[in-house]
Amino acid sequence: MGLTREETESLCEKILGLVKADDAEVWVSSSEDLQLRSANNDITSNGLVQRARIGLSVSYGKRSASISLNQTDDATLRDAVEKVQAMAKLAPEDPEQMPPVEPADFAEPLTFSEATASMTPEEALAQVRPVIEQARAAKVESAGYLERSVSGSALANSRGLFVFQRETSVGFSVTARTAEGGGSGWASTQVTDASQLNLEPVGERAIEKALSSRHPEERAPGRTTVVLEPAAVRDLLSLLSWSIDRREFDEGRSFLNGLVEEGEDPIGKALFGEKANLISDPLFKPAPCGTHSHGLPLTKTPWIENGVLRNLYLGRFWAQKLGVPPQPGPGNLIMPGEGKSMEELIGQVEDGVLITRLWYLRMVQPQSLLYTGLTRDGTFAIKDGKISGPVKNFRFNESPVNVLKNLVSSGVPTRVLGSESDMPVHAPPLVVSDFNLSSVSDAS
Amino acid sequence: MHRREWLKGTSAAGMALLSSRWTIAAEEAAGISVKFPALADAALGKAKDLGASFADFHVMQTDSESLFVREEMVQGVNAGSSLGCSMRVLVSGAWGFAASEEVSEKSVLRLVESAVAVAKGQSGWRAQPVEIEMLPAFTGKWEADGDTDPFTVSLEEKVDRLLGINRSALGKGASYCHSHVSAVRERKWLANTFGTRIEQSRVRIFPNFSVTVIDPKKGEFASRESDRPPRGAGYEHLRDWDAAADAALAVEQAKEKMAAPSVTPGKMDLVIAPSNLWLTIHETVGHPTELDRALGYEANFAGTSFCTPDKLNSLQYGSELVTIVADRTVGNGLATVKWDDDGVQTVGKEFPIIEKGVFRNFQMALGQAALIGVEGGSNGCAYADSFDAFPIQRMPNISLRPGPDNAVTAESLIADVEDGIYVDGRGSWSIDQQRYNFQFTGQVFHRIRNGKLDGMYRDVAYQGNSVDFWKACDGLGGGTSYELGGAFNCGKGQPQQVAPVSHGAVPARFRQINILNTAEESGKKVAAVTNPNPNTCSCSGGGMKSWA
Repeated sequence: MGLTREETESLCEKILGLVKADDAEVWVSSSEDLQLRSANNDITSNGLVQRARIGLSVSYGKRSASISLNQTDDATLRDAVEKVQAMAKLAPEDPEQMPPVEPADFAEPLTFSEATASMTPEEALAQVRPVIEQARAAKVESAGYLERSVSGSALANSRGLFVFQRETSVGFSVTARTAEGGGSGWASTQVTDASQLNLEPVGERAIEKALSSRHPEERAPGRTTVVLEPAAVRDLLSLLSWSIDRREFDEGRSFLNGLVEEGEDPIGKALFGEKANLISDPLFKPAPCGTHSHGLPLTKTPWIENGVLRNLYLGRFWAQKLGVPPQPGPGNLIMPGEGKSMEELIGQVEDGVLITRLWYLRMVQPQSLLYTGLTRDGTFAIKDGKISGPVKNFRFNESPVNVLKNLVSSGVPTRVLGSESDMPVHAPPLVVSDFNLSSVSDAS
Repeated sequence: MHRREWLKGTSAAGMALLSSRWTIAAEEAAGISVKFPALADAALGKAKDLGASFADFHVMQTDSESLFVREEMVQGVNAGSSLGCSMRVLVSGAWGFAASEEVSEKSVLRLVESAVAVAKGQSGWRAQPVEIEMLPAFTGKWEADGDTDPFTVSLEEKVDRLLGINRSALGKGASYCHSHVSAVRERKWLANTFGTRIEQSRVRIFPNFSVTVIDPKKGEFASRESDRPPRGAGYEHLRDWDAAADAALAVEQAKEKMAAPSVTPGKMDLVIAPSNLWLTIHETVGHPTELDRALGYEANFAGTSFCTPDKLNSLQYGSELVTIVADRTVGNGLATVKWDDDGVQTVGKEFPIIEKGVFRNFQMALGQAALIGVEGGSNGCAYADSFDAFPIQRMPNISLRPGPDNAVTAESLIADVEDGIYVDGRGSWSIDQQRYNFQFTGQVFHRIRNGKLDGMYRDVAYQGNSVDFWKACDGLGGGTSYELGGAFNCGKGQPQQVAPVSHGAVPARFRQINILNTAEESGKKVAAVTNPNPNTCSCSGGGMKSWA
């Protein structure tokens, strides 16, 4: 189960007590992961993994260095402290080196569940088994992955900061594939509290998509209205959230530089469609996250409000230089939806494509935040407001900026897994116009 | 690698750090070597007592170091270490696995119990039992070749070298430059119930930089990353690199790229430098020919493959010029080891994946060959990226064989192109989950006109289908143009594991490949721009040599 709060605090104190440098910051995390992987309707690997990790940064004035380790015996800790201090003394001064953060009050996070922490391998197997049996009964091949994670992490420093937070989650995804016809379907869920876990509907969705995506037809690529399911939306929002950076903009190397005139500030500008809203809130119960980021309190933060950019990530050094408070990056992402059902969203589309999820997203052009990637595991044509049948997958070249500019309407938000990050994201399905489907992929 | 030789590179400051056992992991490793046999005997004995038909016990120690320099500021001086062990058991046809950072008899015996329990949890409802082949038993130690141990080189030396890169770039007019070097030492101990008891050690290093130039008036910027690949090598891989000169050239190229005309999309002939082609080999040949993918084991994450077992020895994967081989014994290869993480010896297991254009072999790990009726068992492609990772099939070093004429160079290939592009450096990469449809960019796109380099294009991506692409190959550089590229971070598996791998390549020519204009793809209207330097190129010819 990892280290308790008391054990973690004691370890932090021990390490800080060994440090002779001017300042020090230590983080300690310990975790126990239960990992259950399946393929071809059988378990393929199944394990229980315990980890501990310690990070220590020390500084002498503007000279600093960091070390990480996973052994906690006294001799190793002493050696690690000696080593990192020697490295810091040899390091040149960094004019941007900041002192450790001062102690602060942090809200109690909503990220821990006893039911998840106490989940056993047998219980995990019992959850996954019906999904595999569903697939066998439907005569499709399933491959899935369940990961139950329990972790505790602490941050402490020589200024007196100590914060300890625990986190639990269970993530599950499954792909069902048909033996003939090239059908493939995927579905997922992620919860903090394992007592809310119900994998059978997840399996049913994947199987249904696999069966209904057999024998896809080829649809011409081009700019198209698409219905993006939440898994696709969460990937695109994650990519956008990594790039809303004040310093990059100030230095002239952000996609935002191309959206405003020289000398203009992007904050307060309507850079996205008026239906675009994006916030982070660590205490959002359906998808919570920790309540600090490197010792800075995380609070509810609007990033985009009715299409207007409201905040940018702002590191401590750059904030000091600008004379304003720092703005930590998001620990989770929440996009409120309009609450429309999938039927309503699809019903709005005269001629378009429904996309279940995206794959292999990579930056093509940072100047426009253009990403490429592919659709997979359930891509369907929409005609006259109805699903008209499966279509072959597409490669797309599109920017999440354009996706939010061209947002037509949205559905009911949910928490699912994506292919690009583990950050908790609560996002609705979206109808987006002019989505650039660049070419057809033969992958099924 | 000989420790005596490593110490030649050690300066006084480096020696000062040697007082810490942290940096002399070899001695700590020796401690593990001493206690490993008894731990292994206890673990494997208990696994057999609890009903395991096969078991293996892994210990892994990883040391790492990285430096990051932004402009003239040293902003990251980092070291890391991890140590731990894992137990894998096969009980009644089901795998069980458990891992912990505690390497002690008490912990190891607990891991055996956990691993056996999770394997037994599948009892009664498996469709197919896991079956594995018998493996020969090996004993011994192996260390990768290298010259100067990067962990014993002084911090000052490394910092000075990175600062030299950045000063060179800034002096040439770069708006920004960051440089970075990371080094990893991986030590592994493996014992299994076939009787294997082995120990291996290897080091890898990755020096790199990126320069950026900006045009604040237009709100535009352009970057150029270095081409120096990571290698299974010592500090000499950074020391022997004239990185400051490359950084100066990179600034010139970034400026030229920003001012270059935007490419007109359509079909064009490409000559691709090894600095770009290695990644194309990785994505279009390496991943599709992993047997676990082809059999559905990666269906929920990395995907499956167009390259199915029925295509063995029949699929025309490329033109007759194309031969691509897998080899875990390549000098300085990032996937080079003596034994894989299933305990299979790699010497003698080299194999062609594509031979004269025909698909010949899959990459396989333990228990996979029999699934497709191939005799001889695993071909040595298992890897676990950390002490707590279940070994899975991963890529060996996979390389394109040079063409038959040693005199053929990139220039020779370019000479036979009327209107095309010479692609240099790794850019963006993406490919579908069955490895048909790919799209890659690069660092620099030199325009080819009438057989000669003639300025640059910007906004270029090439897109295609893996098999069609390799069939369009009609020219290969000779042996003297061969270069070894690679990456530290190939991802696969759930939980995701990251593997280092090298890919050798020669310059190669491909006819009529689909070129996209990425600015147009982003929705921008692209105005026709006249090439400001229609007959000159600051890197013509020299570009290829300098980035080699």
